[in-house]
Amino acid sequence: MNSGDLDKAADSSEAPAVRSEAVPDRRDFLSTVSTVAMAGGLVTGYGTFAFMAGRYIFPTNVETPWLFVAEANSIQPGDSLAFESPTGVRVAIARRPADGPRHSTETEDFIALSSICPHLGCRVHWESHNNRFFCPCHNGVFDPEGKPVSGPPKAAEQELSRYPLKVEGGLLYIAMSVESVGTAARPSSHAAHRSNATTPAFSPGQEDLA
Amino acid sequence: MTAVARWFRERVPLSGDRLRALTNEPVPNHMKHWWFCLGGTPAYLFVVQIVTGILLAIYYQPSSTTAYESIEHITDNVTFGWYFRSLHKWAATLMVAAVILHQMRVYFTAAYRKPREINWMIGMCLLLCTLGLGFTGYSLVFEQLSYWGATVGGNILSTVPLLGEPLKKMLLAGDVYNQQTLPRFFILHAAILPATMVLLILVHILLIRLHGVTELRFEDDPPGPEHFNFFPDHFYTELILGLTLMIVLSALATIFPAAMGPKADPLVTPEVIKPEWFFYVTFRWLKLFGPTFAVLSMGFIVCAMFIWPWIDGWLRKVTRTEEASTYIGIIAVLAIITLTVWEAAVAH
Repeated sequence: MNSGDLDKAADSSEAPAVRSEAVPDRRDFLSTVSTVAMAGGLVTGYGTFAFMAGRYIFPTNVETPWLFVAEANSIQPGDSLAFESPTGVRVAIARRPADGPRHSTETEDFIALSSICPHLGCRVHWESHNNRFFCPCHNGVFDPEGKPVSGPPKAAEQELSRYPLKVEGGLLYIAMSVESVGTAARPSSHAAHRSNATTPAFSPGQEDLA
Repeated sequence: MTAVARWFRERVPLSGDRLRALTNEPVPNHMKHWWFCLGGTPAYLFVVQIVTGILLAIYYQPSSTTAYESIEHITDNVTFGWYFRSLHKWAATLMVAAVILHQMRVYFTAAYRKPREINWMIGMCLLLCTLGLGFTGYSLVFEQLSYWGATVGGNILSTVPLLGEPLKKMLLAGDVYNQQTLPRFFILHAAILPATMVLLILVHILLIRLHGVTELRFEDDPPGPEHFNFFPDHFYTELILGLTLMIVLSALATIFPAAMGPKADPLVTPEVIKPEWFFYVTFRWLKLFGPTFAVLSMGFIVCAMFIWPWIDGWLRKVTRTEEASTYIGIIAVLAIITLTVWEAAVAH
Protein backbone atom coordinates (compact mmCIF):
# COMPACT_ATOMS: atom_id res chain seq x y z
CA MET A 1 0.00 0.00 0.00
CA ASN A 2 1.50 3.32 -0.97
CA SER A 3 0.88 6.69 0.64
CA GLY A 4 -1.80 7.50 -1.94
CA ASP A 5 -3.77 4.42 -0.89
CA LEU A 6 -3.40 5.47 2.72
CA ASP A 7 -4.71 8.91 1.91
CA LYS A 8 -7.66 7.35 0.06
CA ALA A 9 -8.35 5.11 3.02
CA ALA A 10 -8.18 8.07 5.33
CA ASP A 11 -10.49 10.13 3.14
CA SER A 12 -12.99 7.32 2.57
CA SER A 13 -16.34 7.88 4.22
CA GLU A 14 -16.46 4.14 5.02
CA ALA A 15 -13.43 4.38 7.24
CA PRO A 16 -14.28 5.18 10.81
CA ALA A 17 -13.25 8.64 11.99
CA VAL A 18 -11.06 7.26 14.78
CA ARG A 19 -9.08 5.11 12.32
CA SER A 20 -8.46 8.01 9.95
CA GLU A 21 -6.68 9.86 12.74
CA ALA A 22 -4.71 6.79 13.79
CA VAL A 23 -3.39 5.86 10.33
CA PRO A 24 0.19 7.07 10.17
CA ASP A 25 1.22 8.93 7.09
CA ARG A 26 4.14 6.94 5.71
CA ARG A 27 5.70 9.98 4.10
CA ASP A 28 5.63 11.89 7.39
CA PHE A 29 7.02 8.90 9.24
CA LEU A 30 9.92 8.40 6.81
CA SER A 31 10.58 12.12 6.79
CA THR A 32 10.81 12.19 10.59
CA VAL A 33 13.01 9.08 10.73
CA SER A 34 15.38 10.36 8.06
CA THR A 35 15.56 13.81 9.71
CA VAL A 36 16.38 12.25 13.09
CA ALA A 37 18.94 9.91 11.47
CA MET A 38 20.54 12.79 9.59
CA ALA A 39 20.64 15.12 12.59
CA GLY A 40 21.94 12.27 14.77
CA GLY A 41 24.64 11.46 12.24
CA LEU A 42 25.72 15.09 12.01
CA VAL A 43 25.77 15.65 15.77
CA THR A 44 27.50 12.32 16.49
CA GLY A 45 30.02 12.61 13.65
CA TYR A 46 31.09 16.21 14.06
CA GLY A 47 30.57 16.08 17.83
CA THR A 48 33.07 13.22 18.04
CA PHE A 49 35.43 15.17 15.82
CA ALA A 50 35.11 18.27 18.03
CA PHE A 51 35.72 16.19 21.18
CA MET A 52 38.83 14.62 19.64
CA ALA A 53 40.08 18.06 18.53
CA GLY A 54 39.58 19.40 22.06
CA ARG A 55 41.46 16.46 23.53
CA TYR A 56 44.21 16.93 20.93
CA ILE A 57 44.68 20.61 21.84
CA PHE A 58 44.81 19.82 25.58
CA PRO A 59 48.51 19.27 26.41
CA THR A 60 49.63 15.70 26.88
CA ASN A 61 51.70 14.67 29.86
CA VAL A 62 54.91 13.45 28.33
CA GLU A 63 56.72 11.06 30.64
CA THR A 64 59.49 12.91 32.47
CA PRO A 65 62.84 11.14 32.12
CA TRP A 66 64.84 9.90 35.13
CA LEU A 67 68.22 11.61 35.42
CA PHE A 68 71.12 10.12 37.34
CA VAL A 69 72.12 12.21 40.37
CA ALA A 70 74.70 10.31 42.40
CA GLU A 71 75.34 7.08 44.24
CA ALA A 72 72.87 7.06 47.12
CA ASN A 73 75.57 6.18 49.64
CA SER A 74 77.71 9.11 48.61
CA ILE A 75 75.31 11.51 50.32
CA GLN A 76 75.59 11.27 54.11
CA PRO A 77 72.50 11.61 56.32
CA GLY A 78 71.83 15.31 56.86
CA ASP A 79 74.01 16.15 53.92
CA SER A 80 72.80 17.59 50.61
CA LEU A 81 73.91 18.52 47.15
CA ALA A 82 72.88 20.98 44.47
CA PHE A 83 71.73 19.37 41.27
CA GLU A 84 71.59 21.20 37.97
CA SER A 85 69.37 19.75 35.23
CA PRO A 86 70.38 19.75 31.55
CA THR A 87 68.28 22.89 31.13
CA GLY A 88 69.99 24.69 33.98
CA VAL A 89 67.29 24.26 36.64
CA ARG A 90 68.86 23.97 40.10
CA VAL A 91 67.39 21.66 42.69
CA ALA A 92 68.38 21.00 46.29
CA ILE A 93 68.64 17.26 46.92
CA ALA A 94 69.15 16.28 50.54
CA ARG A 95 69.30 13.10 52.57
CA ARG A 96 67.22 13.24 55.72
CA PRO A 97 69.09 12.88 59.01
CA ALA A 98 69.49 9.30 60.23
CA ASP A 99 66.64 8.25 62.50
CA GLY A 100 68.43 6.49 65.35
CA PRO A 101 70.38 3.44 64.28
CA ARG A 102 68.47 3.27 60.97
CA HIS A 103 70.84 3.95 58.12
CA SER A 104 69.00 2.95 54.96
CA THR A 105 69.19 4.40 51.46
CA GLU A 106 65.53 4.13 50.52
CA THR A 107 63.85 6.59 48.18
CA GLU A 108 61.99 8.18 51.10
CA ASP A 109 65.30 9.03 52.79
CA PHE A 110 65.89 11.68 50.15
CA ILE A 111 64.13 14.88 49.26
CA ALA A 112 64.48 17.14 46.19
CA LEU A 113 63.12 20.68 46.49
CA SER A 114 62.43 23.17 43.76
CA SER A 115 63.96 26.63 44.01
CA ILE A 116 60.77 28.24 42.68
CA CYS A 117 58.68 30.00 45.34
CA PRO A 118 55.06 28.73 45.14
CA HIS A 119 53.77 32.23 45.94
CA LEU A 120 54.56 34.15 42.74
CA GLY A 121 57.36 32.21 41.12
CA CYS A 122 60.48 34.03 42.40
CA ARG A 123 63.58 31.97 43.17
CA VAL A 124 64.28 31.15 46.77
CA HIS A 125 67.80 30.87 48.20
CA TRP A 126 69.20 28.93 51.12
CA GLU A 127 70.35 30.85 54.19
CA SER A 128 72.59 28.47 56.09
CA HIS A 129 72.99 30.80 59.07
CA ASN A 130 69.21 30.84 59.53
CA ASN A 131 68.70 27.21 58.46
CA ARG A 132 65.91 28.25 56.11
CA PHE A 133 64.95 28.99 52.52
CA PHE A 134 64.19 32.65 51.92
CA CYS A 135 62.26 34.27 49.05
CA PRO A 136 63.38 37.91 48.67
CA CYS A 137 60.30 38.98 46.66
CA HIS A 138 57.78 38.91 49.52
CA ASN A 139 59.79 37.61 52.48
CA GLY A 140 58.60 34.04 52.18
CA VAL A 141 60.36 31.62 54.54
CA PHE A 142 60.53 27.80 54.29
CA ASP A 143 62.09 25.20 56.56
CA PRO A 144 64.68 22.66 55.29
CA GLU A 145 61.81 20.29 54.34
CA GLY A 146 60.29 23.01 52.13
CA LYS A 147 57.36 23.64 54.48
CA PRO A 148 56.26 27.29 54.82
CA VAL A 149 57.30 29.06 58.03
CA SER A 150 56.22 32.67 57.48
CA GLY A 151 55.27 35.23 54.85
CA PRO A 152 52.69 34.79 52.06
CA PRO A 153 53.51 31.07 51.52
CA LYS A 154 52.67 30.40 55.19
CA ALA A 155 49.41 32.33 54.88
CA ALA A 156 48.44 30.20 51.87
CA GLU A 157 50.09 27.01 53.21
CA GLN A 158 52.17 26.62 50.07
CA GLU A 159 55.18 24.30 50.21
CA LEU A 160 58.19 24.31 47.93
CA SER A 161 57.35 21.74 45.28
CA ARG A 162 59.24 18.48 45.27
CA TYR A 163 60.75 16.54 42.42
CA PRO A 164 60.23 12.76 42.33
CA LEU A 165 63.28 10.76 43.32
CA LYS A 166 64.03 7.06 43.20
CA VAL A 167 66.84 4.82 44.40
CA GLU A 168 67.54 1.89 42.14
CA GLY A 169 70.52 -0.43 42.53
CA GLY A 170 72.08 1.99 45.01
CA LEU A 171 71.88 4.86 42.54
CA LEU A 172 69.80 8.01 43.06
CA TYR A 173 67.70 9.33 40.17
CA ILE A 174 65.53 12.46 39.80
CA ALA A 175 62.60 12.96 37.37
CA MET A 176 63.14 16.25 35.57
CA SER A 177 62.30 17.63 32.14
CA VAL A 178 65.20 17.93 29.74
CA GLU A 179 63.41 20.55 27.65
CA SER A 180 62.98 24.21 28.40
CA VAL A 181 61.78 27.37 26.73
CA GLY A 182 64.39 29.64 25.22
CA THR A 183 67.45 27.61 26.05
CA ALA A 184 68.76 24.59 24.25
CA ALA A 185 69.36 21.48 26.29
CA ARG A 186 72.88 21.28 27.62
CA PRO A 187 73.45 17.55 27.89
CA SER A 188 76.95 17.81 29.27
CA SER A 189 76.23 20.49 31.84
CA HIS A 190 74.02 18.62 34.28
CA ALA A 191 75.94 17.74 37.35
CA ALA A 192 75.58 17.21 41.00
CA HIS A 193 77.74 19.39 43.20
CA ARG A 194 78.55 18.14 46.64
CA SER A 195 77.73 20.62 49.31
CA ASN A 196 79.75 21.62 52.26
CA ALA A 197 79.47 18.32 54.07
CA THR A 198 80.57 19.59 57.43
CA THR A 199 77.09 20.79 58.43
CA PRO A 200 76.04 18.43 61.20
CA ALA A 201 72.29 19.05 60.92
CA PHE A 202 70.17 18.34 57.93
CA SER A 203 70.29 21.29 55.57
CA PRO A 204 70.25 21.76 51.83
CA GLY A 205 73.83 22.92 52.18
CA GLN A 206 74.03 25.61 49.55
CA GLU A 207 74.04 29.33 49.91
CA ASP A 208 72.14 30.13 46.77
CA LEU A 209 69.84 27.95 44.73
CA ALA A 210 69.00 30.72 42.33
CA MET B 1 8.64 34.36 20.21
CA THR B 2 10.77 34.82 23.26
CA ALA B 3 12.39 38.16 24.03
CA VAL B 4 15.85 36.81 23.19
CA ALA B 5 14.71 35.45 19.84
CA ARG B 6 12.92 38.73 19.04
CA TRP B 7 16.04 40.72 20.02
CA PHE B 8 18.18 38.54 17.76
CA ARG B 9 15.70 38.61 14.85
CA GLU B 10 15.60 42.43 14.94
CA ARG B 11 19.36 42.60 14.60
CA VAL B 12 19.75 39.73 12.12
CA PRO B 13 16.65 40.04 9.94
CA LEU B 14 16.95 36.59 8.37
CA SER B 15 13.99 34.24 8.45
CA GLY B 16 13.93 30.68 7.10
CA ASP B 17 11.95 31.87 4.07
CA ARG B 18 14.39 34.67 3.41
CA LEU B 19 17.37 32.31 3.71
CA ARG B 20 15.67 29.95 1.29
CA ALA B 21 15.08 32.81 -1.15
CA LEU B 22 18.69 34.00 -0.87
CA THR B 23 20.31 30.61 -1.35
CA ASN B 24 17.83 29.08 -3.70
CA GLU B 25 19.26 28.38 -7.05
CA PRO B 26 17.62 26.06 -9.55
CA VAL B 27 19.90 23.04 -9.79
CA PRO B 28 19.67 20.98 -13.00
CA ASN B 29 18.33 17.46 -12.57
CA HIS B 30 21.59 15.74 -13.60
CA MET B 31 23.05 16.87 -10.26
CA LYS B 32 20.85 14.25 -8.60
CA HIS B 33 23.35 11.68 -9.91
CA TRP B 34 25.94 11.11 -7.20
CA TRP B 35 28.90 11.14 -9.56
CA PHE B 36 28.27 14.84 -10.22
CA CYS B 37 29.38 15.65 -6.67
CA LEU B 38 33.02 16.15 -7.66
CA GLY B 39 32.83 19.94 -7.33
CA GLY B 40 31.62 19.84 -3.75
CA THR B 41 34.04 17.04 -2.77
CA PRO B 42 37.29 19.02 -3.09
CA ALA B 43 35.60 22.03 -1.46
CA TYR B 44 34.63 19.89 1.53
CA LEU B 45 38.09 18.30 1.67
CA PHE B 46 39.63 21.78 1.56
CA VAL B 47 37.67 22.67 4.71
CA VAL B 48 38.89 19.42 6.33
CA GLN B 49 42.45 20.44 5.39
CA ILE B 50 42.04 23.88 6.94
CA VAL B 51 40.67 22.45 10.21
CA THR B 52 43.22 19.61 10.53
CA GLY B 53 46.00 21.93 9.27
CA ILE B 54 45.28 24.45 12.05
CA LEU B 55 45.31 21.60 14.57
CA LEU B 56 48.67 20.34 13.28
CA ALA B 57 50.14 23.86 13.27
CA ILE B 58 49.49 24.06 17.03
CA TYR B 59 52.34 21.58 17.63
CA TYR B 60 54.40 21.87 14.44
CA GLN B 61 57.69 23.79 14.63
CA PRO B 62 58.90 24.95 11.18
CA SER B 63 62.64 24.73 11.65
CA SER B 64 65.06 22.19 10.27
CA THR B 65 66.23 21.40 13.81
CA THR B 66 62.77 20.81 15.25
CA ALA B 67 60.32 19.99 12.40
CA TYR B 68 60.88 16.22 12.31
CA GLU B 69 60.82 15.90 16.11
CA SER B 70 57.66 17.99 16.41
CA ILE B 71 55.85 15.75 13.92
CA GLU B 72 57.17 12.70 15.77
CA HIS B 73 55.74 14.26 18.94
CA ILE B 74 52.35 14.82 17.24
CA THR B 75 52.31 11.24 15.97
CA ASP B 76 53.57 9.44 19.09
CA ASN B 77 52.69 11.59 22.12
CA VAL B 78 49.81 13.99 21.48
CA THR B 79 46.36 12.52 22.09
CA PHE B 80 44.73 11.70 18.71
CA GLY B 81 47.74 13.34 17.03
CA TRP B 82 48.22 10.32 14.76
CA TYR B 83 44.55 10.58 13.75
CA PHE B 84 44.61 14.26 12.76
CA ARG B 85 47.93 13.89 10.95
CA SER B 86 46.65 10.86 9.04
CA LEU B 87 43.38 12.66 8.32
CA HIS B 88 45.36 15.60 6.89
CA LYS B 89 47.45 13.31 4.72
CA TRP B 90 44.52 11.27 3.38
CA ALA B 91 42.33 14.34 2.80
CA ALA B 92 45.22 15.80 0.78
CA THR B 93 45.45 12.65 -1.32
CA LEU B 94 41.69 12.52 -1.90
CA MET B 95 41.60 16.27 -2.60
CA VAL B 96 44.18 16.01 -5.38
CA ALA B 97 42.28 13.03 -6.82
CA ALA B 98 38.92 14.84 -6.55
CA VAL B 99 40.25 18.03 -8.18
CA ILE B 100 41.70 16.02 -11.08
CA LEU B 101 38.44 14.04 -11.51
CA HIS B 102 36.38 17.25 -11.28
CA GLN B 103 38.51 18.83 -13.97
CA MET B 104 38.19 15.74 -16.17
CA ARG B 105 34.41 15.84 -15.74
CA VAL B 106 34.33 19.52 -16.72
CA TYR B 107 36.60 18.80 -19.67
CA PHE B 108 34.73 15.81 -21.08
CA THR B 109 31.33 17.50 -20.70
CA ALA B 110 32.78 20.63 -22.39
CA ALA B 111 31.53 22.74 -19.49
CA TYR B 112 34.42 25.16 -20.06
CA ARG B 113 32.93 26.54 -23.27
CA LYS B 114 31.54 30.04 -23.64
CA PRO B 115 30.60 31.79 -21.35
CA ARG B 116 32.52 29.79 -18.71
CA GLU B 117 36.10 30.22 -19.99
CA ILE B 118 37.22 32.37 -17.05
CA ASN B 119 35.90 29.85 -14.53
CA TRP B 120 37.91 27.12 -16.30
CA MET B 121 41.05 29.25 -15.89
CA ILE B 122 40.26 29.81 -12.22
CA GLY B 123 39.86 26.04 -11.94
CA MET B 124 43.32 25.61 -13.49
CA CYS B 125 44.75 28.00 -10.87
CA LEU B 126 43.04 25.93 -8.17
CA LEU B 127 44.59 22.75 -9.59
CA LEU B 128 48.08 24.31 -9.52
CA CYS B 129 47.50 25.61 -5.97
CA THR B 130 46.40 22.12 -4.88
CA LEU B 131 49.53 20.54 -6.37
CA GLY B 132 51.64 23.30 -4.76
CA LEU B 133 50.03 22.52 -1.40
CA GLY B 134 50.82 18.84 -1.92
CA PHE B 135 54.47 19.56 -2.69
CA THR B 136 55.02 22.01 0.17
CA GLY B 137 53.01 19.74 2.49
CA TYR B 138 55.28 16.72 2.29
CA SER B 139 58.31 19.04 2.39
CA LEU B 140 57.35 20.13 5.92
CA VAL B 141 57.87 16.69 7.50
CA PHE B 142 61.64 17.06 6.99
CA GLU B 143 62.13 13.39 6.24
CA GLN B 144 64.43 12.22 3.45
CA LEU B 145 61.69 12.66 0.81
CA SER B 146 61.04 16.23 2.04
CA TYR B 147 64.66 17.29 1.79
CA TRP B 148 65.56 15.60 -1.47
CA GLY B 149 62.18 16.43 -3.05
CA ALA B 150 62.78 20.13 -2.33
CA THR B 151 66.39 19.90 -3.54
CA VAL B 152 65.36 18.19 -6.79
CA GLY B 153 62.42 20.61 -7.17
CA GLY B 154 64.76 23.58 -6.83
CA ASN B 155 67.17 22.12 -9.39
CA ILE B 156 64.30 21.44 -11.83
CA LEU B 157 63.23 25.07 -11.48
CA SER B 158 66.76 26.25 -12.21
CA THR B 159 66.62 24.64 -15.67
CA VAL B 160 63.98 27.16 -16.79
CA PRO B 161 65.79 29.60 -19.12
CA LEU B 162 66.37 33.10 -17.69
CA LEU B 163 63.99 32.85 -14.73
CA GLY B 164 65.20 29.50 -13.40
CA GLU B 165 67.97 30.56 -11.03
CA PRO B 166 66.07 33.48 -9.42
CA LEU B 167 63.01 31.22 -8.98
CA LYS B 168 65.13 28.53 -7.33
CA LYS B 169 66.68 31.10 -4.99
CA MET B 170 63.23 32.39 -4.10
CA LEU B 171 61.97 28.88 -3.34
CA LEU B 172 64.97 27.62 -1.35
CA ALA B 173 65.97 30.97 0.18
CA GLY B 174 69.46 30.47 -1.27
CA ASP B 175 71.40 28.39 -3.73
CA VAL B 176 70.84 25.19 -1.77
CA TYR B 177 68.49 23.91 0.93
CA ASN B 178 69.37 25.75 4.14
CA GLN B 179 67.92 26.75 7.51
CA GLN B 180 65.72 29.44 5.91
CA THR B 181 64.08 26.99 3.48
CA LEU B 182 61.61 25.23 5.75
CA PRO B 183 59.96 28.45 7.08
CA ARG B 184 59.35 29.44 3.44
CA PHE B 185 57.64 26.16 2.67
CA PHE B 186 55.57 26.53 5.84
CA ILE B 187 54.39 30.04 4.96
CA LEU B 188 53.57 28.91 1.43
CA HIS B 189 51.73 25.84 2.71
CA ALA B 190 49.89 27.38 5.66
CA ALA B 191 49.23 30.95 4.53
CA ILE B 192 49.89 32.04 0.95
CA LEU B 193 48.49 29.07 -0.98
CA PRO B 194 45.41 28.47 1.24
CA ALA B 195 44.53 32.20 1.26
CA THR B 196 44.87 32.28 -2.53
CA MET B 197 42.67 29.20 -2.79
CA VAL B 198 39.97 30.68 -0.55
CA LEU B 199 39.76 33.75 -2.82
CA LEU B 200 39.77 31.65 -5.98
CA ILE B 201 37.10 29.27 -4.63
CA LEU B 202 34.86 32.25 -3.75
CA VAL B 203 35.15 33.65 -7.29
CA HIS B 204 34.73 30.11 -8.72
CA ILE B 205 31.46 29.60 -6.83
CA LEU B 206 30.29 33.16 -7.55
CA LEU B 207 30.70 32.59 -11.29
CA ILE B 208 28.90 29.23 -11.03
CA ARG B 209 26.00 31.03 -9.30
CA LEU B 210 25.95 33.80 -11.92
CA HIS B 211 26.08 31.45 -14.92
CA GLY B 212 24.25 28.53 -13.36
CA VAL B 213 25.51 24.95 -13.53
CA THR B 214 26.10 23.65 -17.06
CA GLU B 215 23.01 21.61 -17.88
CA LEU B 216 23.37 18.06 -19.11
CA ARG B 217 20.65 15.82 -20.46
CA PHE B 218 20.53 12.05 -20.09
CA GLU B 219 18.42 9.69 -22.15
CA ASP B 220 16.86 8.15 -19.04
CA ASP B 221 15.92 11.49 -17.53
CA PRO B 222 12.43 11.23 -16.07
CA PRO B 223 9.79 13.58 -17.47
CA GLY B 224 8.83 16.50 -15.27
CA PRO B 225 10.60 19.60 -14.00
CA GLU B 226 14.18 19.97 -15.19
CA HIS B 227 15.41 21.64 -12.00
CA PHE B 228 15.23 21.15 -8.27
CA ASN B 229 15.95 23.50 -5.39
CA PHE B 230 19.43 24.09 -4.03
CA PHE B 231 18.00 24.56 -0.56
CA PRO B 232 17.25 22.23 1.06
CA ASP B 233 17.49 19.41 -1.53
CA HIS B 234 21.03 19.86 -2.80
CA PHE B 235 22.24 21.17 0.56
CA TYR B 236 21.19 17.87 2.14
CA THR B 237 23.03 15.97 -0.57
CA GLU B 238 26.20 17.89 0.30
CA LEU B 239 25.69 17.15 4.01
CA ILE B 240 25.45 13.42 3.32
CA LEU B 241 28.49 13.67 1.06
CA GLY B 242 30.44 15.37 3.87
CA LEU B 243 29.56 12.67 6.40
CA THR B 244 30.43 9.92 3.93
CA LEU B 245 33.81 11.53 3.25
CA MET B 246 34.50 11.80 6.99
CA ILE B 247 33.77 8.08 7.39
CA VAL B 248 36.04 7.21 4.44
CA LEU B 249 38.81 9.50 5.72
CA SER B 250 38.57 8.15 9.28
CA ALA B 251 38.69 4.57 7.98
CA LEU B 252 41.75 5.33 5.82
CA ALA B 253 43.47 7.22 8.67
CA THR B 254 42.89 4.32 11.04
CA ILE B 255 43.77 1.47 8.70
CA PHE B 256 46.66 3.23 6.93
CA PRO B 257 47.97 5.86 9.39
CA ALA B 258 50.59 8.33 8.17
CA ALA B 259 54.05 6.92 8.83
CA MET B 260 57.39 8.70 9.24
CA GLY B 261 60.31 8.08 6.93
CA PRO B 262 63.94 8.50 7.98
CA LYS B 263 64.93 12.04 9.02
CA ALA B 264 66.42 14.26 6.32
CA ASP B 265 70.14 13.67 5.86
CA PRO B 266 71.86 16.09 3.46
CA LEU B 267 74.83 13.70 3.19
CA VAL B 268 72.90 10.61 2.08
CA THR B 269 70.64 10.43 -0.96
CA PRO B 270 68.30 7.42 -0.65
CA GLU B 271 68.69 4.60 -3.19
CA VAL B 272 65.08 4.93 -4.30
CA ILE B 273 63.35 8.28 -3.99
CA LYS B 274 59.98 9.15 -5.43
CA PRO B 275 57.59 12.08 -4.95
CA GLU B 276 53.92 11.64 -4.02
CA TRP B 277 51.82 9.75 -6.57
CA PHE B 278 50.37 12.91 -8.15
CA PHE B 279 53.84 13.93 -9.34
CA TYR B 280 54.66 10.52 -10.85
CA VAL B 281 53.68 11.83 -14.31
CA THR B 282 56.09 14.76 -14.20
CA PHE B 283 58.79 12.61 -12.58
CA ARG B 284 58.61 10.01 -15.37
CA TRP B 285 58.44 12.79 -17.97
CA LEU B 286 61.65 14.25 -16.53
CA LYS B 287 63.40 10.89 -16.69
CA LEU B 288 62.30 10.43 -20.30
CA PHE B 289 63.30 13.79 -21.72
CA GLY B 290 65.88 15.48 -19.51
CA PRO B 291 65.33 18.59 -17.40
CA THR B 292 65.19 21.51 -19.82
CA PHE B 293 62.95 19.93 -22.47
CA ALA B 294 60.74 18.31 -19.83
CA VAL B 295 60.24 21.55 -17.90
CA LEU B 296 59.59 23.62 -21.02
CA SER B 297 57.19 21.02 -22.49
CA MET B 298 55.30 20.75 -19.19
CA GLY B 299 55.06 24.54 -19.06
CA PHE B 300 53.72 24.48 -22.62
CA ILE B 301 51.11 21.83 -21.70
CA VAL B 302 49.96 23.82 -18.65
CA CYS B 303 49.66 26.97 -20.77
CA ALA B 304 47.66 25.03 -23.38
CA MET B 305 45.35 23.74 -20.64
CA PHE B 306 44.80 27.30 -19.43
CA ILE B 307 43.62 28.52 -22.84
CA TRP B 308 41.90 25.26 -23.84
CA PRO B 309 38.43 26.88 -24.23
CA TRP B 310 39.85 28.91 -27.13
CA ILE B 311 41.92 26.03 -28.53
CA ASP B 312 38.73 23.95 -28.44
CA GLY B 313 36.88 26.66 -30.40
CA TRP B 314 39.63 26.71 -33.00
CA LEU B 315 39.66 22.89 -33.21
CA ARG B 316 35.90 22.78 -33.74
CA LYS B 317 36.19 25.33 -36.51
CA VAL B 318 39.05 23.49 -38.23
CA THR B 319 37.81 19.91 -37.83
CA ARG B 320 34.11 20.77 -38.15
CA THR B 321 33.36 18.30 -35.38
CA GLU B 322 32.46 18.70 -31.71
CA GLU B 323 34.49 15.67 -30.64
CA ALA B 324 38.11 16.73 -31.32
CA SER B 325 38.72 17.85 -27.72
CA THR B 326 37.22 14.61 -26.42
CA TYR B 327 39.65 12.47 -28.42
CA ILE B 328 42.61 14.61 -27.34
CA GLY B 329 41.39 14.33 -23.75
CA ILE B 330 41.17 10.53 -23.95
CA ILE B 331 44.75 10.37 -25.29
CA ALA B 332 45.93 12.72 -22.52
CA VAL B 333 44.22 10.69 -19.78
CA LEU B 334 45.67 7.44 -21.14
CA ALA B 335 49.14 9.07 -21.24
CA ILE B 336 48.78 10.29 -17.65
CA ILE B 337 47.66 6.84 -16.45
CA THR B 338 50.45 5.11 -18.39
CA LEU B 339 53.21 7.40 -17.06
CA THR B 340 51.85 7.17 -13.49
CA VAL B 341 51.63 3.37 -13.54
CA TRP B 342 55.04 3.14 -15.21
CA GLU B 343 56.65 5.30 -12.52
CA ALA B 344 54.86 3.37 -9.77
CA ALA B 345 55.91 0.01 -11.15
CA VAL B 346 59.66 0.54 -11.52
CA ALA B 347 62.28 1.42 -8.92
CA HIS B 348 64.26 3.86 -11.08
